[in-house]
Amino acid sequence: MIMRMLKDYCGLWAIAVAALLVAPGAWAVPSFARQTGMACEACHTVFPELNHFGRMFKANAYTVDNLKPVRGVSATREELLALSGLPPISLMVQVSQTSIAKAIPDGVGHFSQSSSVAFPQQISLFYAGKIAPRLGAFIQLTYANNAGTIGIDNTDLRWADNRLLPGDKSLVYGITANNNPTVQDLWNSTPAFGYPYAGSKANVSPIAGTQIDGKLGQSVAGVSLYAIWNEALYGEIGTYRSAKQGVANAVTGGSGPLDGTVSNVIVGGAPYYRIAYEYLWGRHSLSAGLYGATFKLVPGGSSTAPGTLSGPANEFRDTAEDFQYQFIGDRHLFSLAGTHIREKMTLNASYGAGLGADNLHDDLTTTRITGNYYYQRRYGATLGMFSTTGSLDTQLYPAGASPGVVTSASGLPDTKGWMAELNYMPWLNTRITLQDTQYTKFNGGGDNYDGFGRNAGDNNSLYLLVWFNY
Amino acid sequence: MKTFITTVGAVAAMLLAQASPAADEITPEARLAAQHVAVMTCATCHGPQGRSVAPKFPALAGQHPKYLVAQLEAFKSQTRGDADAIGYMWGMASPLSDEMIAALAAYYAAQTPVAGSAGDAGAIARGADIYANGVAAEGIPPCIACHGPGASGTDDYPRLAGQHAQYLLKQLRSFQNNMRNVAVMHGVAQDLKANEMEAVAAYLQSLGSR
Repeated sequence: MIMRMLKDYCGLWAIAVAALLVAPGAWAVPSFARQTGMACEACHTVFPELNHFGRMFKANAYTVDNLKPVRGVSATREELLALSGLPPISLMVQVSQTSIAKAIPDGVGHFSQSSSVAFPQQISLFYAGKIAPRLGAFIQLTYANNAGTIGIDNTDLRWADNRLLPGDKSLVYGITANNNPTVQDLWNSTPAFGYPYAGSKANVSPIAGTQIDGKLGQSVAGVSLYAIWNEALYGEIGTYRSAKQGVANAVTGGSGPLDGTVSNVIVGGAPYYRIAYEYLWGRHSLSAGLYGATFKLVPGGSSTAPGTLSGPANEFRDTAEDFQYQFIGDRHLFSLAGTHIREKMTLNASYGAGLGADNLHDDLTTTRITGNYYYQRRYGATLGMFSTTGSLDTQLYPAGASPGVVTSASGLPDTKGWMAELNYMPWLNTRITLQDTQYTKFNGGGDNYDGFGRNAGDNNSLYLLVWFNY
Repeated sequence: MKTFITTVGAVAAMLLAQASPAADEITPEARLAAQHVAVMTCATCHGPQGRSVAPKFPALAGQHPKYLVAQLEAFKSQTRGDADAIGYMWGMASPLSDEMIAALAAYYAAQTPVAGSAGDAGAIARGADIYANGVAAEGIPPCIACHGPGASGTDDYPRLAGQHAQYLLKQLRSFQNNMRNVAVMHGVAQDLKANEMEAVAAYLQSLGSR
């Protein structure tokens, strides 16, 4: 099996090597690096994982720069414009190949191919950098090959300022407007920029995940206030509203307001909070924190089966802990990060026969821990474990019809497994990753988890990714 | 030994002597512009008013202006070549004009120096001894000869008191490997042992601690 997979990769390796051969010889770095004149390692251990300075750069609204601005002043020489001489534009390209252990059945005796080439898997255009003094943005526009369309991806607009407090303590404070809970966070232990940093879109996705764990990305908009005391104690409080993309009001055809043709709409505002403490000593840093949000979602409907946005709502109360340790040596880098998310559901809208949930109250718990090692920021290895477990609910996690695969015969959401990665970075902005995912449990079971003969291990995958940022 | 120290001093003074505008030659506009850059850009690493928190980044508050000018010019001309200088400061310093460099130096020089932080008492005592007396057996001159009593520096030599030990240690290693292109400190540091460097760094960091 492994030999066959490796053989499949030969073609892509050739592409990767060819791409490297034509890559420019300069120290090619994306827009933050161009804006600041600093190399990638100023902000990252290895991208996208941030180091302490990277976290402070983000908290300071991405505004540190060394570019000569285009200026505008009033008659009294008040500053009206300080526009960067160069727009902070970057491009990200991912090409990949995924082999899953067993091809996907179609239910009538046929199978898919077992491997899948994505060329590209994703192309993203970023505006990432300063807009004006104290104001900056990270805006990502993405073409994803599974959707075949270009759409808005992670976005974080920030304003920030800093102060010196009595006793020589610093205070950085600001506002972020963003479209994905935790995308604004400074650590890589929270979901939006947590491990895995990249994954195959050709893999079989587990049936369950908590709301804060990426489920609402790009379909909400939130505003938070945050502050960091002495580069150590971080606090943030905010609220999220539904801000769906690609939907229109059924009557007016306008981009809103949302109506019953849209599903899972937040009632009012969903409160979000975050607190974390980071301790620095020598070349080490250790952070630990809490984060969470409560989302009240009305089920709504779809354009073909409209529902209502009034009436009972399903409440998802997510509370999580996280930690991150980093050692940044001259040759060796090591980081360990983890999070534990608990979701308590009160399914007022979906509880009842035929409505979507067997139970009024369900729980879902996700745990992820990942360790990364890099030698000279060039050769890396990663080992991670993941686990999602939760309540038995045969409507929420349905058995479904043949061919199964994405369903759960047991009505349990449990998915557990391991990920291992080998990374090679010929340049700090170019990564070649070989990622192996092994499931010990998938959608509630090990063997025959879907009731149609598929085992958890059949979804194991080997994923080769070539990732450029420039 | 005395001759060595005198020679060291003379060479260092020559190396550090840079043509930079005196503090009173800096225009009010340049002062304002430098304050703006210091608050908006430099503070991200070096902290508000040059009082850095992360031990990787040096505190600049109260540093002598001639030294700051010399360093910014070394970053700009890419002659200070330790890894963090290349990674962070080459880019940051590249667009700075002579006037801005002088004004930034004046801004940080005018700030009240940072208070140090205490550490391992044994290391501090050993460091204090090396600082005051050198290590005669290894031909290492006393640091106090240039950096002065209390390590507050002089017009020609940087203030070291209260500086982060991690930063100082990294710089001593950089001098040792001749990455900072300062012949005098390369000469002084090349025979320093790891535990001696750690002791001196711990002592300097502790100075002025409350």
